Formats: sequence, C-alpha cells, structure tokens
Amino acid sequence: MKRIAASVLVFLVLMPQIAFATPAKKLKPAIVTAPPVEDNEPAPPNDVLEPLNRATFALNDGIDLVLINPLVTLWNGIMPSFVRTGVGNFFNNLDDVYVGVNHVLQGNGNAAGVDFERVVVNTTVGIGGLFDVGAKMGLHKVDGDFGQTLGVWGFPTGPYLILPLLGPSTFRETAGRSVRVMTDPRSYMDSVPSYSLMGLEYLQTRADTKANEGLIAASSLDRYVFIRNLYLQKRALLVKSGHDKTSSAAN
Amino acid sequence: MILRRVLSVSTHWLALAGLIVGISLASVRAEVQAPDELVKKLAAEMTQAVRNDPELQNPNSVKISDFVQKNIVPRFDFDRITQIAMGRNWAKATQSEQKQIASEFGKLLTRTYSNAISTLKDLDVEVKTTRVTTPNVDVTVKTQMIGRAQPVTIDYGLINSPAGWKVYDVTVEGISLVAAYRDEFNGLVSSSGVQGVIDALKKKNGG
Repeated sequence: MKRIAASVLVFLVLMPQIAFATPAKKLKPAIVTAPPVEDNEPAPPNDVLEPLNRATFALNDGIDLVLINPLVTLWNGIMPSFVRTGVGNFFNNLDDVYVGVNHVLQGNGNAAGVDFERVVVNTTVGIGGLFDVGAKMGLHKVDGDFGQTLGVWGFPTGPYLILPLLGPSTFRETAGRSVRVMTDPRSYMDSVPSYSLMGLEYLQTRADTKANEGLIAASSLDRYVFIRNLYLQKRALLVKSGHDKTSSAAN
Repeated sequence: MILRRVLSVSTHWLALAGLIVGISLASVRAEVQAPDELVKKLAAEMTQAVRNDPELQNPNSVKISDFVQKNIVPRFDFDRITQIAMGRNWAKATQSEQKQIASEFGKLLTRTYSNAISTLKDLDVEVKTTRVTTPNVDVTVKTQMIGRAQPVTIDYGLINSPAGWKVYDVTVEGISLVAAYRDEFNGLVSSSGVQGVIDALKKKNGG
C-alpha cells in the first residue's frame, strides 16, 4: 500500500510538468537542416570615383584629427549635456520644417502632418525648439530630405561621392543638399551669424555621431568600404520607406 | 490480493512512464524555446547585467568579453554569418580557409558585440513582432531599444538548428552589419584573394 501511495505521489508531482509543458506547437520536432544560404547578392556599389573619394576621405580624416576632434572634445567638455541636447533639438526643429516640405513633395501627407505637428509643439511648448516635447508625446522625428525626394521621384543615386568636410554622399544626394543650402534662410543672412549657426550645427552633428564613428573604426577592416556600404544602405532604405509610405498613402 | 498486485505494478509502471515523459518534455521545452522568447530573454539578461555591473560598461574589460563569450556567442551561428558575409567568395575558399575565416570573423564580431553591449546601461529592449520567413526554420524577431530620445529598431534573423534557435543576422534601423562586411570581403578577395581576408581579420584581431 505504501508503494502504491509513493507511486501515486511521484505521479502527482509529475502531473503538472506534463500538463503544462505540452503546448502543441512547441512539440514539433526541430528541423535539423538549415536552408542553404541564398545567393542574392546586391549589385556592387557604383564608385567610379573611388581613387578621388579615397583621397578626400583621407583629407577629411586629417581635418578631423587636427581640427574637428579637438573642437568636438572641447564642445563636449565645456557644454553641459542639457545645453548640447538643447542645441541638437533646436537644429532638429528647423530640420523638421524642411523634412515636412519634402514629405509633401513626396506625396506623403501623413508623415508631413507629423513633421509639422512636431514643429508646432516643439516651437511653442518646447520653447523655440530647445525641448523635444513632440517625441515625449509619441511624435517621433522622421528622417527626410530633398535627396530622398529625388529618389522617390525616380532619380538614380549616381556615383558615390565623398565631399570635403561633409563626408559620404552621392551625386543625387549632393544635388539634394545644394537645393537645401539654396533654400536655407541662413544662406541669406549676414555672413557672420550665418556661418556661426552653420558651424554650430556642424559641430553638434559631429558630436552626435562620434560614438558611432568609434564603433565603426573598431569593427571595420577597410573603413572606407565599411562606411560606404552603411551610407548607401541607409540612403536606399530612406528612399524605400519614402516609396512605401507614398504608395500606401495613395491606396 | 491479485488485484492489489496488478494495481501496484501498473501504478509503478505508470509512475516510471510519467517520470520519463516528464523529463523528456522538460528537456524538449528547454531546447525548443520559441525564437521571440529567446531574444526577449537574451535582451533582458544583457541589459540587466550591464546595468548592475559597472565593469561590464567598460568595452575593454575582460569581464564583458567573458560575459559575451558565455551568454551571447552560443546563441549566434557564426558559420552561417561568415558564409553570408563571404557570399560567392565562400566557394573559392578551401575547407581549412573557411574554418579560419569563420573563427577569426567570430572573434571580430564578438568584440564588436562587446562594444555595443557595454553601452546598454540606460536602455531597455522591447520585443515587437516576429516575421516568419519559413515556419519553424527561419524567422525575424523585431525589437525596439528604448531609453534614448529616439527608439532604435533592431531586428534579429534566427535559424532553427538541433541546438535551438540561433541568430544569423542583426540589422540596426534596417541596416545590416553583415552586408557591410560582405563589401569589405569582396574588395579584399579581388585585391589579394581569400588569404587577404584571413590576413586582414587576423591583423584586426591583433594576432
């Protein structure tokens, strides 16, 4: 009788294990052979100007080393982080106007609505754009620019191009950037405040990306190729998301 | 009396059967962990560990590399990652070259992940959705890292294997690191052959 009781006890202890451990889908046998790696390699990047680009790339590295890095370190050192965040937010707010215009040009009304809503909220409640109140309300900043708009309109990227000081670009993105500069109110201001504002924005942008630059340097075998790939992936993705949103808005 | 004996024997067998089934189910459960649960568990372990231990926040510490070696590396399929990164150049390498590339590339990626993980102090990972490419074989688990001004989307491609689900691709904001390495490997192979890839990897790993 004791043995029966013991057996029943063992069984009862195991019962929950059995009952709860058997959702049907988890009992499917694991598939042992992984499917072979697919052979869907993208076309090689269009970099006909590679020798020139590598030279500009090296030049930019030199400028970074002697001028930009010390300035960024100084900027990060003397400015408390809330000031840096404020400056970053201020320029992001100006950028949102421009992003919104581009979303309109791409026929993406929903995204443009979010952009302009951000501008209104951040300029008023966020005190001239110093605080990103919009993000806290769930209105997150979306990237967008005229190079993307040209892409959505069907312009090809053209060859990869490294710009002095500004870094990775393509023929299309450079065209987009020129339009941006021409339509930027700062281009029509007196030169001293205009250059100061542009310099400040440049410094802030570089300070924001410094951590990523370190990560890339630590991971890459040929930094030029690594950055080119990441940049082209990012631009292709931006145009694709512009396409997707535009076509879903049209339907 | 006979009835009692029969009853006794049969309950014994039943208990034994129950024991075996219970044990085997427990082990099946450990192995066939759903991919999204696996990513969720890994992400929670990483962020908690880094938050609670300042030493893990130093990307160059021995501790973070041990941590990654123990907790992250077994969950990655470095052979497959290497094969994808090598693309059509994979077939050009001999078996021993393939082995060397996978091992050196694994080291480089491990260090890259250590660098990235050491910065997770103030971040949390939310598992969003899972896209099934091939049921029970190939899935993508989409996650969001929150804690900074902008949420960062990180997607993990996982493949099923006898040892459970393993990660074979990580994309950050839709950008694939493996694709960037593929361009590098391509350039190295065309300029200095498969050996060029091995040399560059070894040099990067400081060996």
